[in-house]
Amino acid sequence: MSAKQPTTIPGARAAEPKARRIGVYVCHCGGNISDYVDVQAVADAVRHEPGVVVAKTMMFACSDAGQGEMEADIAANDLDGLVVASCSPKLHVVTFRGVAKRSGMNPYEYNQANIREQCSWTHTDDRAGATSKAIGLVRGVIGRTRLTEALEPLVVETTQKALIVGGGITGLRSAIGMADIGLGVFLVEREAELGGWVGRFGPIFPHERDGRELIAGLVVEIKKRPSIKVFTRAEVVTKTGTFGNYQVGIRVAADPPQTITAEVGSIVVATGFDSYQPAENEFGTGLDAVLTLPEFKDLVDHADGPLRHNGRPVRSLAYIYCVGSRQPDGNEYCSRFCCTATAHLSIRVAALDPRLRQYHLYRDIRTYGNFELLYTEARKSGAVYVKYPDDAPPVVSVEAGGGLAVAVRDLLSGDEELEIPVDLVVLVTGMVPRKNEEMVGLLKLPIGRDGFFNEIHPKLRPVETMVDGVLIAGACQGPKCSAESVASGLAAVTQSASVLKKGVAELDPLVATVDPDRCTWCGKCETACPYGAIEKLSLNGREVATISEAGCKGCGGCVPICPENAIDLRGYTDAQITAMIDGLLEEAIA
Amino acid sequence: MTDYDALVVGSGIAGMESALKLGDMGYKVLLVEKEASVGGRMILLSKVFPTLDCASCISTPKMAASIHHPNVTALTYTEVDGIARDGDGTFKATIRHKPRFVDEAACTGCQLCETACTVAVPDQFNADMVARRAAYIAFPQAVPKKAVLERAGTSPCTYTCPAGIKAHGYVSLIRSGEYEKAFQLVLDATPLVGTLGRACYAPCEAECTRGSLEGTLPIRRLKRFAADRHYAAADGPGVEVPRPNGKRVAVVGSGPAGLTAAWQLARLGYGVKILEAAPVAGGFLRLAIPGYRLPPEVVEQDISNVTAIGVEIATSSPVTDLPALKSDGFDAILVATGTQLSTDLGVPGEKLDGVVGGLQFLRGTKLGTGADLAGKKVVVVGGGNVAMDAARTAVRLGAAQTTVAYRRGRTELPAHKTEVDDAERDGVTFTFQVAPVDVVGDSAGHVTGLRCQRMALGRPDASGRRRPEPIEGSEFVVACETVLVAIGMAPEGAAFGGSIAVNANGTLVADARSLQTAVPYVFAAGDVTTGASDITRAVGQGRRAAHMIDRWLRGETLDGEPSPGDGFEMDDQLPLVDKPSVLGRQKAYGRGGALIEAAPPAARDFAEIEAPLTEAEARAAAGDCLDCGVCSECNECVAACPSDAIHLDMRESVEEVSVGAVVVATGYKLFTADAKPEYGFGRYKNVITGMQMDRLLAPTRPFNTVLRPGDGKVPERIAYILCTGSRDEAPGPDGRGGVNNPLCSRFCCMYSIKQNQLVMGALPLAEVTVHYMDIRAPGKRYDEFYEGAKAMGATYVKGRIAKVTEKPDGNLILRYEDIEHGGALVEAEYDMVVLAIGVQPNREVERLFGGDDAIELNDYHYVAERNEDIDPGRTNIPGVFVAGTASGAKDITDSILHAGAAVAQVAAHLESRKVPA
Repeated sequence: MSAKQPTTIPGARAAEPKARRIGVYVCHCGGNISDYVDVQAVADAVRHEPGVVVAKTMMFACSDAGQGEMEADIAANDLDGLVVASCSPKLHVVTFRGVAKRSGMNPYEYNQANIREQCSWTHTDDRAGATSKAIGLVRGVIGRTRLTEALEPLVVETTQKALIVGGGITGLRSAIGMADIGLGVFLVEREAELGGWVGRFGPIFPHERDGRELIAGLVVEIKKRPSIKVFTRAEVVTKTGTFGNYQVGIRVAADPPQTITAEVGSIVVATGFDSYQPAENEFGTGLDAVLTLPEFKDLVDHADGPLRHNGRPVRSLAYIYCVGSRQPDGNEYCSRFCCTATAHLSIRVAALDPRLRQYHLYRDIRTYGNFELLYTEARKSGAVYVKYPDDAPPVVSVEAGGGLAVAVRDLLSGDEELEIPVDLVVLVTGMVPRKNEEMVGLLKLPIGRDGFFNEIHPKLRPVETMVDGVLIAGACQGPKCSAESVASGLAAVTQSASVLKKGVAELDPLVATVDPDRCTWCGKCETACPYGAIEKLSLNGREVATISEAGCKGCGGCVPICPENAIDLRGYTDAQITAMIDGLLEEAIA
Repeated sequence: MTDYDALVVGSGIAGMESALKLGDMGYKVLLVEKEASVGGRMILLSKVFPTLDCASCISTPKMAASIHHPNVTALTYTEVDGIARDGDGTFKATIRHKPRFVDEAACTGCQLCETACTVAVPDQFNADMVARRAAYIAFPQAVPKKAVLERAGTSPCTYTCPAGIKAHGYVSLIRSGEYEKAFQLVLDATPLVGTLGRACYAPCEAECTRGSLEGTLPIRRLKRFAADRHYAAADGPGVEVPRPNGKRVAVVGSGPAGLTAAWQLARLGYGVKILEAAPVAGGFLRLAIPGYRLPPEVVEQDISNVTAIGVEIATSSPVTDLPALKSDGFDAILVATGTQLSTDLGVPGEKLDGVVGGLQFLRGTKLGTGADLAGKKVVVVGGGNVAMDAARTAVRLGAAQTTVAYRRGRTELPAHKTEVDDAERDGVTFTFQVAPVDVVGDSAGHVTGLRCQRMALGRPDASGRRRPEPIEGSEFVVACETVLVAIGMAPEGAAFGGSIAVNANGTLVADARSLQTAVPYVFAAGDVTTGASDITRAVGQGRRAAHMIDRWLRGETLDGEPSPGDGFEMDDQLPLVDKPSVLGRQKAYGRGGALIEAAPPAARDFAEIEAPLTEAEARAAAGDCLDCGVCSECNECVAACPSDAIHLDMRESVEEVSVGAVVVATGYKLFTADAKPEYGFGRYKNVITGMQMDRLLAPTRPFNTVLRPGDGKVPERIAYILCTGSRDEAPGPDGRGGVNNPLCSRFCCMYSIKQNQLVMGALPLAEVTVHYMDIRAPGKRYDEFYEGAKAMGATYVKGRIAKVTEKPDGNLILRYEDIEHGGALVEAEYDMVVLAIGVQPNREVERLFGGDDAIELNDYHYVAERNEDIDPGRTNIPGVFVAGTASGAKDITDSILHAGAAVAQVAAHLESRKVPA
């Protein structure tokens, strides 16, 4: 890897408050802000702040028209600082840096004041208070902007290869996708066989394609592509490097075990899911004739005539839905695929034995989209659907004769209490996050409240994580059916390629810097850095800290730790933070 | 090499995502959007589930990036007409740039055109709940923020006007209260505003689309209203006198053609002199049309427009020697002398005293030199408008009995029906199927009667009318003292001494298009070259003559095939708008103010008969206009635009581009809620769709709060009906038809839950009840979002709504079986009902691919994915991929992922075709 140095433009102007020409734009955000904050009052209040040359309100600052107006103002007034008071910088800092850049301004002389999430939305009952708080927030950011420096992004060359973790259908299809776009692939699978869940399945919904055959087809395609290197019985054990250039260690359980180092530009995590395992006695779990959904699917996949279980014919069965899903005290989430998977199984069971009585005990049938056709077909094939109350799940019991019975309240028949004797009970178990603590720790994967890996934003960046270059695909992100998992895997391919195909990536230069004259190398910063970006350096006979610009994420964790005050964060210098505080405090909050 | 690596059709969220990601990878992308802004439907939403992000905030960065991305060329208001395989695996796409009528580069998005526009149409970007203008910017966050002028074609009234007057334009100006501007718009075509407001036979009204509903708009009388307002207030036309260009044109004749040509030429800076043989100017306007139809002072006012801008009118100045006129210093001459000769009866006794030509009779009456008819019996021969004028004038001059003798039947009368009706009301009697044989006179040479012969109607002749044939032995004499002969008129072509060639019927020989005669500097316009027509056609001829004389004097060609945009034709009109589609898009036909026709005054004198419209009548009548062509061509936007960006002469252009791959991202259509009549959408005002509710909740919401459309009341009890148009195979209420959609639309449950939360936030006192079949919240954080709505207080009731009925106060009764509580039939009352409408396929995708290259659709008319399990987004055509809801219902997140999947395969396809270096 090579990082361009330095990131500060030589001879950049010294921050000189009086010399600045700043434009300030206060956004209505339709009414998201202006319904609760007097945006005109905010603009008026900051109009005469030192350095401010333009101060106006806008209906939607992020709209093309808003951006165009800013561009025109920058050109007409020769602005060298830009402040937009609107939403969270998470949403639009890139947008408005783009405005600055297109207008010939340095993009890092743009700063955003968040007067929506941090003001209008939190003070919907106090317009006066919200307005004065907004004024303070904007003043603070103006103060910070008076001290901005022109910065250039850090440009790094990227490695045109990807690591895919997981050899299920998502990982396999993603590997082919990467290879076909010209990216090298390292595919790592923990098991001895590729294929994951789907590789063990017979026909899957909605197209009746045989899972084993689908996987076999993908494996054939992978073998045709020399740019894909497959490691089975393998795990990722180390990861170093920075965005666009990671070195990962892959340990292969051979005899003797060997570790391979791979250079990759991006990492796609496609580690899939586990099936919910009911607790002992949960809906009769532990009884011989009580099966989970995967167990039952296996039974059906291997049946070549009327169903038999443990040698006995199955003449009736009950499906109990939402086992382990939508539980206030357990997994709160809906597992998405199970309703359709069960309808699909029900159709296949009816085809094997039209006389087999099937009872579906459900809460809501969620055969969304075209999957509705399967639900319709299941009902037409004779299956009986019984809706039970959310707070009164069915009860499985063993009858005197040793058979099973399911007691359920049928909301669709006047809340009648039913006792259904059945030969088999199928617990419609959903997906749960797969335990993979070592990899989570290694890749620093963010985990959501549901326990699945979390994307940055479901719509803006649906396959990216907060860790640059680490993407998630398939059911490790949340329950998905097979085709959806494949789609998200290919979306991760697209995301990887959109960064890696260019060959270079730009990184924010908002990183920490060390003043070597002040630094006495106490090592506290090295300990504090969660990214391993700080090292000891020998400089003119002294030991000082040095910070890798590509490795630093700009979290600022090292700055307050330093006893010598030798570290500053570009874009958030001590002087800038002080100016923000001063600006904020100038306004008496009503 | 192709022009672009990939073509993306549609710029909704899936299309934008596809284009941006391909662009990021380094491919050159053409993104084509048919609407005026990129963004599709998502930008119109309030917030999006389950994060409750503002839809604008998520969309606008992608929208802006779509047009700023260095590798993406985004075309809005553009359609892909066809895509064909190009043999080598690439594609040829036909791209049609629809005319915006706004120069995108010049438009600054200032919206002054919107403010000036006089036409309002339902705003599709606000789910038709409010109006937008014909000149509009799609919505506040539009990208690009450039105006569009919506023009569906030329409105029938304007299209049919022989004078080229923008009838729809002045109607819409009057509707907006811009009376003087309406006058000026007519004045732009002709100075005869007041005249046409009275004496035009209004072919526009015959074509008015409203005519097929409750009746045509009184377009002519609206023009008169504008003229009366102007003349009552203003002295002169109120236009600037142009700077002379140094050239001079002589106009021979001061009828409607001559006056109009003179007006147009003078406004171009020509020095114009009108030479009129009669002692007064105006031609037949002054010398034939009776004052009760067209008061002479109105004609004088109109003529003063012409003289006010410097046109000289010399009366009593007959012209016979055109070369001499030319040598007097005129660069061109227009002959517009009309039809001065009455056709003779050609029967014995025609020279007797008492036989008068109809035109001469009318002229004499107007000049005060006419015959005294008091107590006399009069026979008028002929059935045209001149005959009617003559007959009605005779009545007014005191004739004891006035009879019109016409050789065919009533239905063949060439006179306008209103004229015939008015003549009968005046007391004129009609004798049909009679022809004069001779005029009977006494020894002193005075007329005593007219011998006539009965006629039978035979086979149709060349004019399509049945030829009258005499019946032998049927002669009889009508006693009378005066015979007025009004059987035809002809130009006096020979008046120019043979310098201009003359046709057999007396008309001058002139080119029909350029109106130029064989003598290059002489042009001929109006009845002198067409034969007898009417005022409005003569005005049109005058306009044309001025246009052609100007071209000729500027040295431009007058022959050869005209090509589009060369300015040869003066009115470069769009095609006539399709009337059935105009009627189809109208939702309500309620009429503003029916005109109460005042009974004509009993007095039979020469005072004007027709009463003027009051201002209230005029406004109400103009308000009935259906805005057939959408844009009325009133030109207000053109005048308002500070950057001269509006050009009504823009036309569509078509180009062909070659592309390496195609992404179909044409999205879906929303279910049309009136196709489920049981729920009353379209009939009950307080039944709205989910899309409308989203607009009510959006940051750019039309009313700034949630209110019910019927009466503006803030609703307290709101019901949602889920699965409207989805999961529904039941027959319709008539036992047939029905929704016929077995599919679940996938996102309606979730957007309803989102709206439940937003409504409860916006209206804390409102009760929200959701009638559902199954709540489908199957996605990351979706079920939690549903539980959140329940915790906020929304009630969810299982069971399909059978029927909605409306109470007189606008409240709605929902009838359903309460299946979770014993199955009793329940009728619940709500203030407002929101129909959670679902998805329908956008079948426009079918016309993208023609013939052998047809794209495969699934059973439900969505684009079929050949191998959804492994290659989501791949279609049957190699190199063509589908992204987002074009392949089936998806929510936004799934559409984005689906687009990502399609893009990976587009890239693989493009890479596979690269020749290794």
